[in-house]
Amino acid sequence: MTATVEHAPATGRPRRPASAARIIARRMLTLPLVLFAVAALTFGLIAISPYDANSAYTGITGSISAQTREQINVAWGPDGSTLEQFGSWLGNIAHGDLGNFRLLAGQPVAGEIAERALPSLVLVLTALVLVLVGGLVFGVLAAAFRDSPLDWAVRTFSYYGTAAPSFWVGLLLLYVFSLQLGWLPSGGSVDVRAADGGFIDPVHLILPAVTLAITQQAWFTLYVRDTMLEVLRDDHVRFAEASGVRRVAVLTRHALPNALIPFITLTGTHLSELIGGAVLAETVFGWPGIGRLTVEAALAVDIPLLVAITLAGSVLVVLGNLVADLLYRVADPRIREGAT
Amino acid sequence: MNPPAFSVRDLGVTFATRRGPVTALSGIDLDLHPGTVHVVIGESGSGKSVLAHALLDLLPRNVTLRGSRHLGAEDLAAADARRWREVRARHLAFIPQSPMSALNPVRRVGPLLVELARARGVARSAAWPAVAAALRSVDLDPERIRSSYPHHLSGGMAQRVVTSLALVGSPQVVIADEPTSGLDADLIDRTAGHLANLAERGAALLVITHDLTLAQRLGGTTSVLYASQLLERRHTGALFDSPAHPYVVALLDARPERGGRPIPGMPPELTALPGHCVFAARCTRVRAECRREVPALHPLDDGGVRCVLHAGVQQGVG
Amino acid sequence: MTTLAPAPPRFARLREVATRPTSVLIAGGVLAALVLAALGADLLRPADGIALDRVLAPPSLEHPFGTDETGRDVLALSLRAMRVSFAISLLAASVALLIGVTIGVLAGTLGGWVDGLLMRIVDFFGSQNHFLFAILLVVLFRPVLGAAAAVCLSVGLSHWLVLARIVRGELLSLRERPFVAAAVGGGASRARLVVRHFLPHLGPSVAVAMVLLLPHAIFHESALSFLGLGLPPHQASLGNLIAAGQRSMLAGAWWISVFPGLLILAACVAFGTLGEYWRDRHQPRWRGELEL
Repeated sequence: MTATVEHAPATGRPRRPASAARIIARRMLTLPLVLFAVAALTFGLIAISPYDANSAYTGITGSISAQTREQINVAWGPDGSTLEQFGSWLGNIAHGDLGNFRLLAGQPVAGEIAERALPSLVLVLTALVLVLVGGLVFGVLAAAFRDSPLDWAVRTFSYYGTAAPSFWVGLLLLYVFSLQLGWLPSGGSVDVRAADGGFIDPVHLILPAVTLAITQQAWFTLYVRDTMLEVLRDDHVRFAEASGVRRVAVLTRHALPNALIPFITLTGTHLSELIGGAVLAETVFGWPGIGRLTVEAALAVDIPLLVAITLAGSVLVVLGNLVADLLYRVADPRIREGAT
Repeated sequence: MNPPAFSVRDLGVTFATRRGPVTALSGIDLDLHPGTVHVVIGESGSGKSVLAHALLDLLPRNVTLRGSRHLGAEDLAAADARRWREVRARHLAFIPQSPMSALNPVRRVGPLLVELARARGVARSAAWPAVAAALRSVDLDPERIRSSYPHHLSGGMAQRVVTSLALVGSPQVVIADEPTSGLDADLIDRTAGHLANLAERGAALLVITHDLTLAQRLGGTTSVLYASQLLERRHTGALFDSPAHPYVVALLDARPERGGRPIPGMPPELTALPGHCVFAARCTRVRAECRREVPALHPLDDGGVRCVLHAGVQQGVG
Repeated sequence: MTTLAPAPPRFARLREVATRPTSVLIAGGVLAALVLAALGADLLRPADGIALDRVLAPPSLEHPFGTDETGRDVLALSLRAMRVSFAISLLAASVALLIGVTIGVLAGTLGGWVDGLLMRIVDFFGSQNHFLFAILLVVLFRPVLGAAAAVCLSVGLSHWLVLARIVRGELLSLRERPFVAAAVGGGASRARLVVRHFLPHLGPSVAVAMVLLLPHAIFHESALSFLGLGLPPHQASLGNLIAAGQRSMLAGAWWISVFPGLLILAACVAFGTLGEYWRDRHQPRWRGELEL
């Protein structure tokens, strides 16, 4: 996978001092570019596909009145060339009009996405925390006790974790913990029988979040382990050891802070992987988030919705990179000061 | 002579690598006495840095170590990891080769030094004062250093910072690995002064370097390493005035101020050391017996020389 | 710090994980078994029809993977599904290969602004989420290409980036070699240079990339099928089976979902082990690009 790291790794030399404002500005500038590129690509794909861009965006099939068609023409410009259509479509998006989707006979897309965003956000963030904590703990332990049975177990579990299909793992967990042991619910985000309702029941969150976390966590754990092992060979760690610092302190105070630096960048860029994984996890557990909405949209061939979700995904990726950049700046003083 | 603070007998270090075993050190004997300086000279690839790591027990895992190491009377072969950490903390001090990279880049120098001082056993309340005093004795301003990050320091300053750490906690043995690499001439001189100061305070100082000028400046005893072996050990003055081993002779002749004649040939590969004198292939005075076996370290002037040309010669020059 | 011997190589850690020769041999054996079983599905396990008297039977000697809700033998279904999965993944990887090599060759040989532009595009798409795009692609092109082809295209289009980068990298280093100057001096045109001199050198690294691409392709395809966006039920792949098994799981029949998943896991681990071993031995410089 590629990490779009703007700065050189921890031992490298960044180019100029990076104030927080500058970083934010730079990233936010790329946002319209990214969105444009994604929009262009998707529109291009639709244009090639057998679907008519126009009717796809309006989400209306079947017969419609001439008046409606006229309104559509005005809004979307079907008589123009593909390029003109693209232009007017972009204009509509800029106004927040992402089209209508046909799942609910022409409801605006933007509203539906907003509604479903929160459960997905909760799920993804929970999974992210699990991934980070798990990856850190097991990665550091594995590096600290290199070649021990613990290390072997962590590595093997992680290796198989990266190879196993996440949705299959989810089903396994569902079977064991829900259907067989009855400890956890089998789906949905709330217990429909509960009197007080509430939006998201934490107990329902456990299995989907763990499922989403497991395959990603494996990768992080191995990465943390490897980075720790590398950092442990660094001169400053060796010097601390040579000065008689205790092993635990060497690991936590001298090695780990430095190992975390590349780790942080990956967190931001790995967000996109979690998005993909969320689609699967939400489907397995019937979680009412955007992931499942994506599948519903796909099954119903609801193109405006799919496009909107894709765009939203791109926004998340840019935001993720931005967060990574800012965190990187916090973690490494050399970046803050633009040291050479 | 006082009993040695640290002594090494027949030390051998072999690395297991994919290309086969690499012999980094073989048959090294060393005594470090309090208040003295011992310089180890060698070209790159001679094994000198490995020596430093061997004395600190900081070698990587694919290593076989032979011979003995003694801290005073204590045989360190019996020391476990915990004991070694104590030894490193209380009795040994290390001045690393690249001081800039020896300081954690994401931590301010002040807190880092305090932590290292406390690792040496200095009490919490006394830590910063001790560090500050040490910094002052190497002509650094403690307050300025305290809040700096390593990348704020120049190379020379970083060198002095790590040197100053050796003054904290009064270690008995100080090992300096290439303390002057990359420094300008005047800084070399100043560093030599700081190092000599350490010895004057009673520490047994081991300085590993390829800088012949520094060696001469420091005095004391000099050992010359070549291709994992100790070829000559004499008082520094005597060694420089009248070197005994042909390699040392050639090495001193190769200095720019003496004509700059390089020694033809290359040192042997450490994966394939000959079973005889390691310098034989390049020696101008090589004889048949040189290729029979590794020469013993024949005594010479309180020291020794590993050359058949000096077998049986007790005093004087070969 | 200078030590005399090289520190244990960076790739040593990967060797530690699963690339000891015994693991590689086991992986090879497993993979061979899976492929043979898939190819010989009809011989090994003739498809039996619906048999309502043994609906949802747990695994037994007669039906090692149990039966599904219509009494069909899950092992028979799995073998055929595995065949489908392998075939689609291979095709998808080939699509990725075609696109990736083309782009990589263009970038590597033309250089200059073309290279810069192409690599910018590659980097950009590398950071996006592949799955969402894959879903979009499948939805858009299924009616005109058919499910299988759409899945191939979708998976292929989401995975060509790595190949492009590798091919470009190899070409950039090849360009510096003396034989290139000799060929150009001998009057070789650019096209000739590419075809006769460069492409043969690309073989090994591309092959390694393909092997490591397959687990991704398999996973991706089965994920799409699981969601109902991939292959249709009558062309069931392992993903379809897992999805179908979810319903039966509620009735306690875990075997319909579990075994096909195990096959995916086995195949991915096998490909991954072999691929990583091969990569570390012969093409270590692409370690960063090619990871399971």
